[in-house]
Amino acid sequence: MKKLDSLSLLVFVRNWGITVLLVLLLALFSIWAAPVFGTLDNFSLILGNASIGAIFAAAIAMGVFSGALDLSVPGTAAIAGITAGLMINAGQPVPIAIAAALIVGIVIGAFNGLVSLTGLNPLVVTIGTLSITSGVAAILTGGMPLYGLEVLAFMGTDTYFKIGTDGEVFAGIPATFFVVLIVYVLGTIFLTKTRGGVRFLAAGGNAEALRRVGVNANLYRVLGFVLSGLLAALGGLVTAAYTSGASPAAATGVLFDGLTAVALSGISLAGGRGSLPKVLVGALVIATIASGLLILNIEPFWTVAITGVMLIAALAGEHAIGKAVAKKAVTKSTVSAHKESK
Amino acid sequence: MTTAALNLESIDLHYGYVKALDGVNFKVMPGESVALLGDNGAGKSTLLKVMSGAHRPTSGKITVHGDHLEFHSPRDSAAAGIEMVYQDLALVDAQDSATNLLLGREILRRGPLGWIGFIDRKKMVQEADAETDRLGVKIANLTRPVEMLSGGQRQGVALARAAVRVTGKANGILLLDEPTAALGYEQKVMVEKLIQRLSSEGIAVVLVTHDLPLAFNAAHRMVVLNRGRKVCDVKTSDTTYEQIVGYITGALPAQVGM
Repeated sequence: MKKLDSLSLLVFVRNWGITVLLVLLLALFSIWAAPVFGTLDNFSLILGNASIGAIFAAAIAMGVFSGALDLSVPGTAAIAGITAGLMINAGQPVPIAIAAALIVGIVIGAFNGLVSLTGLNPLVVTIGTLSITSGVAAILTGGMPLYGLEVLAFMGTDTYFKIGTDGEVFAGIPATFFVVLIVYVLGTIFLTKTRGGVRFLAAGGNAEALRRVGVNANLYRVLGFVLSGLLAALGGLVTAAYTSGASPAAATGVLFDGLTAVALSGISLAGGRGSLPKVLVGALVIATIASGLLILNIEPFWTVAITGVMLIAALAGEHAIGKAVAKKAVTKSTVSAHKESK
Repeated sequence: MTTAALNLESIDLHYGYVKALDGVNFKVMPGESVALLGDNGAGKSTLLKVMSGAHRPTSGKITVHGDHLEFHSPRDSAAAGIEMVYQDLALVDAQDSATNLLLGREILRRGPLGWIGFIDRKKMVQEADAETDRLGVKIANLTRPVEMLSGGQRQGVALARAAVRVTGKANGILLLDEPTAALGYEQKVMVEKLIQRLSSEGIAVVLVTHDLPLAFNAAHRMVVLNRGRKVCDVKTSDTTYEQIVGYITGALPAQVGM
């Protein structure tokens, strides 16, 4: 019985460790960085800051779930933001500009997926795409950032449900958070409730299993890149909306934050498993640390360094817990030694 | 005389100068289970892969229920009603047994939600329960991720999945590669019974194994390969352990007419 208990403890840590960490951090900063940190307004700010990271984390997570690490996310975001910016500045209607930016993301994702299917290493392919997209984005604008995208404020800097005439009582919920909500709710429904989601995760876990039951596994592998590209483009749009401008430079920092959020959530980077709500908590952890350190007047470089430490610590933790669970759970079948050489 | 479910004639397979298979004839009738035996490197797994479409023979003829077919990939053999269970089992570790069992034929919800691809988990678990029950495979908990199951249970899920897929088709053919490797005694008995039950339902079973007791308990006929050639093809009731071991090790010369 004791063995079972330690196993369920490990499983609990794997499933809930990230949420416990978030609660601890919130409690810690509420005391340490009192009185500014533990206010509704600051939480609203954290939500806003976490939102953009959360969208990019979802982009990276979708790739990871399907078994591929998509490094082109920042480049796709840059070119999507530039696409929308150029169209808006040229007088195109906002919905058309947004649609065009998202389509650019889908096309880039499909490109990554189809090229990777030929057997090229997806990591290298997406690094190539990262260069291509940010290069093309810079060519399109002559290397200059675009300004004057205030029309996108409804999905960026605006806040909703303000309390008080100018938001004195409560600054409101940032628009970006609603984008995150839509992405994570739809994504979670897709992954947990639909046939497509089951096969999508199966493709990440064991594509061969899908192939053997006659399902086109390649379709789902490409879908992983397409969803990643679509969400990256959305992240680029929201960034543009938040800053009222678009930069052709790829912000590679979002890659590290996104990957850290995924790793913090305890999800194996090997693919085949995934839970978007946990990734969201991971993104919140990163934003909480950033906000807490900012209020404590600690230099922002610390945030970058701590993000790196967390990434490695999370990976090590996942590795150790995964190993312990496998060891404690019933022994798995080992592959027979009787294998023919040919 | 009934036609063979699967018939291979004069199969040659060369890797460069190495003859992995040399003029092998092999057939299995509907409802018959045949054990394919041999030492390491004798060519039994290679022959199984020829049947599953994973390897193309250099020359030779394959007929399935009398139809001459050419397999270019496992998909072709699957279309002809052949299912193979590999040693690696091909399970999706993070998902539960029910999902693994019904992979590729998930049950959708009724109504508009089903039209857009929503699955009915409850029904899937019920269906998985009914199917494993019918096959006599006991899976402790169908909603547990298969990575948390024992080796025998994992084997059970993989076998049941292939078995359901062949029983769905008339006169299916089931190829098993070392189904009892790394299994405990009880689980071996379960696999034996499953093979017997499937062949009694008209499924043709080909079984590659090193496990002679399994072969003697579950197979109607034994075929032994040695260095790519067939050296023995006998009914299980007409042979003994000693004789089969003799053919496997090469201590006995090939049967006349092989």
